[in-house]
Amino acid sequence: MVKMANKKTRGPDKTQANTSDIVVKKLDDATDIVRQPPVFTNDSKYICIASGRQIGIYSVESADKVHSLEEHTFDVIGLAIKDDNILLSCDASGETIEWNINNGTTLKKAPLVVAGIKEFHSFHYPGNGKVLVATPSTYTTNMSSLWIVDSHTRPRKLFADIKSTPHSIAFGCNQGNGSLVVVALQDHSVVVKDITNGVDKKHMTDQRKFTCVALHSEKLIMATGDISGRILIWHDFVHKSRPVKTVYHWHTLPVNSVCFSSEGEYLYSGGSEKVMVKWRLGMSRKQFLPRMGSSIKYIVNAPDNICVATSHSDNAIRFIDSTNKINRAIIGLVKHDPIRGFADTEPIKESVMPTGLVFDPRSHGIFFNAQAGFLQLFDPQKNSLIFNMDVANRNVLTDERNLVIGNAEVLRVAVSPTGEWLATLEVWSNMSAGYHDMNLKFWRYDAVQANYELNTDVTMPHQDRVTALCFQPGLLGTEMPCLVSIGRDLKFKIWRLVDDTDIYRQKESWSCDVAGDFRKLTPSALSFSEDGSLMAIAFQDTVTLWDPTSINLNTTLSHTLVQEPIELMEFGRDNCFRYLVCASKSALYAWDVISQGLVWKVGQLHSSVRCLVPDPKSCYMAAVLQNSEVFVFSPSSSKPVHSVPKMNSSEPIAALFVPRPNPLASGPEWLINSRLLIVDDQQEFLCVDDVSSAGFNQKLTTPISHMDSLPWTPFSAMKAEKQISAAKQLVPVVHQTSGIQGYKSVQSLLETSASALPPMSRICSLFMSDLMIKHGPKAVTAKVNSVDRTSTDLPLSNGHIDSKTQDFSEETTLQKLLTLDCQWLVETVK
Amino acid sequence: MASFKKTQIRSLPKIGQKVTADTLYWRKLNFPVTVKEFGPIDYIDVMPIEPYFIAVSSAAKVQIYNPITHQVHRHFTRFKEAAYGASIRSDGKLVIAGCDEGHVKLFDIGSKSLLRIFKGHKGPVHRCKFTTDNVHVVSFSDDKSVALWDLPSETEIIKFSEHSDYVRAGCVSSISSDLFLSGSFDHTVKLYDARSPTGSTISVDHGSPVESVLMYPSNSIFVSVGGTELRVWDMLAGGRLLARVSQHHKTITCLHLASDGKRLVTGGLDRHAKIYDVQSYQVVHTLDFPSPVLSLGITPDDFTVVAGMANGLISMQHRQTQAEARALNPKQSLKVQKKSQTAYRFRLNADFRSVNRTFNPATDVEVATKTDTNFVSRYDMFLRKFQYSKALDTVLTPYIRKKKPAITVGVMHELIRRNGLKSALAGRDDSSLSSILTFLARNINDPSHANIIIQVANTLLEIYESSSLTPQSEKLFLQLQEHVNREVEYVKHLMEIEGMLHILLASTTTQARRSSTYVVQGSPVKPMLPSAAAAANATMIFNVG
Repeated sequence: MVKMANKKTRGPDKTQANTSDIVVKKLDDATDIVRQPPVFTNDSKYICIASGRQIGIYSVESADKVHSLEEHTFDVIGLAIKDDNILLSCDASGETIEWNINNGTTLKKAPLVVAGIKEFHSFHYPGNGKVLVATPSTYTTNMSSLWIVDSHTRPRKLFADIKSTPHSIAFGCNQGNGSLVVVALQDHSVVVKDITNGVDKKHMTDQRKFTCVALHSEKLIMATGDISGRILIWHDFVHKSRPVKTVYHWHTLPVNSVCFSSEGEYLYSGGSEKVMVKWRLGMSRKQFLPRMGSSIKYIVNAPDNICVATSHSDNAIRFIDSTNKINRAIIGLVKHDPIRGFADTEPIKESVMPTGLVFDPRSHGIFFNAQAGFLQLFDPQKNSLIFNMDVANRNVLTDERNLVIGNAEVLRVAVSPTGEWLATLEVWSNMSAGYHDMNLKFWRYDAVQANYELNTDVTMPHQDRVTALCFQPGLLGTEMPCLVSIGRDLKFKIWRLVDDTDIYRQKESWSCDVAGDFRKLTPSALSFSEDGSLMAIAFQDTVTLWDPTSINLNTTLSHTLVQEPIELMEFGRDNCFRYLVCASKSALYAWDVISQGLVWKVGQLHSSVRCLVPDPKSCYMAAVLQNSEVFVFSPSSSKPVHSVPKMNSSEPIAALFVPRPNPLASGPEWLINSRLLIVDDQQEFLCVDDVSSAGFNQKLTTPISHMDSLPWTPFSAMKAEKQISAAKQLVPVVHQTSGIQGYKSVQSLLETSASALPPMSRICSLFMSDLMIKHGPKAVTAKVNSVDRTSTDLPLSNGHIDSKTQDFSEETTLQKLLTLDCQWLVETVK
Repeated sequence: MASFKKTQIRSLPKIGQKVTADTLYWRKLNFPVTVKEFGPIDYIDVMPIEPYFIAVSSAAKVQIYNPITHQVHRHFTRFKEAAYGASIRSDGKLVIAGCDEGHVKLFDIGSKSLLRIFKGHKGPVHRCKFTTDNVHVVSFSDDKSVALWDLPSETEIIKFSEHSDYVRAGCVSSISSDLFLSGSFDHTVKLYDARSPTGSTISVDHGSPVESVLMYPSNSIFVSVGGTELRVWDMLAGGRLLARVSQHHKTITCLHLASDGKRLVTGGLDRHAKIYDVQSYQVVHTLDFPSPVLSLGITPDDFTVVAGMANGLISMQHRQTQAEARALNPKQSLKVQKKSQTAYRFRLNADFRSVNRTFNPATDVEVATKTDTNFVSRYDMFLRKFQYSKALDTVLTPYIRKKKPAITVGVMHELIRRNGLKSALAGRDDSSLSSILTFLARNINDPSHANIIIQVANTLLEIYESSSLTPQSEKLFLQLQEHVNREVEYVKHLMEIEGMLHILLASTTTQARRSSTYVVQGSPVKPMLPSAAAAANATMIFNVG
């Protein structure tokens, strides 16, 4: 097994991969845990949390996961505790499952049958075998109808056109006669039904829309919250048509959730102020729990009245003890709240996940946005959050009623090739005040403390929005790292680590080394060649190639065929190092940086290219289109090796090739060492992977069987079947991108007039040595693709090491369009 | 519950001399005790063992001072004319001095008696030294020669006459008794080995008359001073120049090692003594003196710094002892004392008055747990309560707005972020408005705060443009306008100058290009290898050709 895998990786799989093996999977573990309110068990020891199709049972004491219940095939829409240790869950297709909480086994599965309806919105269980389900309303969208389902009688419709959020339905008992009372919210009214007595009531107040409702567990008291932040307590609302109301008004923003304590003495409320308010009923006293980190979605009280759980929009559930302190939290992968104010002027990527996915080579994790001003590191192998880091270190500000107050947002992240340095760009802007603030922060990883330490904080690194940040790859450990930033102030800046060492202390900080511009054009994309020897910056439709050490403009590339502004640009990796793939609004094309010709172009794309990601472990590259089509191709040719048709309605935001811990045994070459991860606008993770690999749950180690030929002795067990050294000799890759060997000498010889030439005997040896190919120990031979090179008229040599980088004369545009092939895309789609 | 994060105050580092460990160390020298001699102080030598007597040669005598009492311990006056370069043997028993008549005289410090006279030089001897074995003497004379003498037999062993000018500097190796170094006014520094009588082993050119030489204790590097330059030479590499440092603006006259060989001190005619780090040759501190420094002496423990000057003054500075420091600066020392006091952390359970049993520290002393007093400043307290006007008021007190404007700006920044600036600025009376306006006028020219100040000024104008103002406030608004106008003028001037500089720079680069073209044409030897600068426009060059 192992041998086979090795053979496969060594020799590239030339056969056309069977595309049916490759599937797009949704990562279930990464879904949010706060979509449904959590449910405490009756003994208050466990809490049940629905996350997508799974249900997790967590211990309240330790906040650790005890069981993971995975039987549902659709998203879970409601949880309820049926008996002491039986959990009832219902998914969107109406299938209900009863689980044993103690051991996590399935007890009973039953479908809900409600008048042939196949889709359900929410699920409640008042007890006694009665079930309340909300189904889509027949007439109005975004509204629900509420049904009561009993095992004895036919399903009965209670209300029509009620709000479909889980907090708009509440139930309780009428103390007087023990009958079930159900209340539900419509936009401007509360509808009440006493099931047993058949009493119907509809209460209205003013034009403020209701947001949430809760019923007291013992008395007939109802609490409603509305969008103005007001909480109303209704007394005796079943019988009286004008019930007595008490007003509790502290919130300025809409109340997201209200909850009575189990004994009914207190009322908890929360909203986007990130403050939980604890009201004492009948008194004016209230307690606050401020700065909870993120807006409160649901508040749930434990039956023993000791603990309160709050679900927050940052995908965390926090437990508050009786002293009004947060003592534990269950934290999932944080979803970034889209940045308001960006949506209309910027592409959707900028507001949903502005950092994109950034691979961290040190931890093999992925950096991306968490809540405003935070950055999280996600481990795709273990599928868990590694840490959540406060980049802005500011108080989270909440909105005022008619005023949007923004927080500092992390817009760009770059990680140095060794993972030692992390550069973050945070922006805070106030559109109404016309003022913005930008900080470029450099963090160094401290291996002893195991965290990032702030090294340098640069205020206003650019005068306008920074478009891209990129560390120079390919540097050896001894060289000082270097970061390039481009911004809309038409500048690109090169930041270098400066040794500020005087004799007293070792101190290093980053400072701007060079700021440059190019013909007053806006830089739009930035890429480094894999060895770091060449920096490409796209200025509208022109690509400029720079030498990063001396900041000399090597050459500019432009062509009449490609005149749209470049949006994305990436160098090829591995043996496609010479190709620079660019994406504009409707076209995808590649430049050859050695011959300085356009190699291929694919025009008239169905939709614009959203992400262009190179695979760090192979030469392939993936282009993710806005309509969620994915093409995997080698930069040397325009033919895709794999294409994924349109997936669903969601729009991709970012993509990344994630290296696998163990190479795949078989499969197409681009999938052997890495897999493609895509994030859509709902911040759900999708994975393009081989069907054989077990996705995220794959085992990290391959079992090694002992040799069969040897008799099994204690000594034979010590001998490894196969010895592999993972330690690789680190050989810096240097690409030859400086053109044709000796071309310059020949040209200068030809251009100099014969009379001005010195004696032949003098220049002969110099001329010959210029033409010679110098073979260094680290030589990398470039494969010259014969298909693409057929029509070059320049003598192309193999790649080699040249100590002296030859400079191109400026503005050489050897524009040679070699292949023009735009049909494949149209064909593959149709 | 996340704790309230403090308002970030962005303070930029101040330009100017930084307070470093070295400046603190050398600043601890007390006010100097000065002694006036009759002639310029030619040389100062410090006894390498306690009590660190200091031998001072000036005019026609050699005096040995006690560094603690500043009194003359011994003085030797048996010189007809000037005495030079008195140097004490490492055991502190003998002193040697050269003189104008060309003799080298050896005295016993204890008995003051003249023990030996080494005769043989034809010119004045300015420097003389004991070798490491203590039984030989090296003398450096104005007759351009360097001689090694045997101390017991009073005979000359070897004489090198390689220099072409006066030899005014010299030193011996601290490891080998055979190695010594001489520096001469003929600009050379020569290293001699007594085992090879043929001549000097290393000779280096300093570039100006050598005033003093010094060999590091490791014997691998030596230093020479002369002119305004200090040069460092690698002895093992045969006299390779390691560093050239020019920190004085007049001739450097003397050299000394300090702090166990970690610092190098040079004194010069510019009345300064510079202290260098011996690894980087960066100046870490400068000592100032009232007149040109001719000689320096530092005791091995850095306790006393003695400088001899051209007008005959000897300045002796002592390092402050702790008791002295306390007496000089009682306030600070009290603070230090308080910090080190631990009494408040402990509380005795037993009542002192009624204690009649043995005291048991394990049970009787209760150690209070250290409570981290999370200090919240007043403006943060108001910001937390969303009381924006009050928060702004607290940072507009005269002390903060004058001494710590960064705090005021930081709070204003936070108010802008919270969208509370308008409400904080609105509805102010005359006096509070004037304090804001004076603050804005004072700081609007500061580039590090300008963007926030301008934002605040704009908001202020927006609020108060329609309201009627008192004459006093109106005056202040006009003052602010004047400040802005002045700044605009200033920036205009600067931009004009920048433009001029651009023209100059552009013309120089084109000239450089033309000259490089010329070089390529003029050197027929390597026509195929243009210089790196010319390589960029190589094609153009050849077209010109």
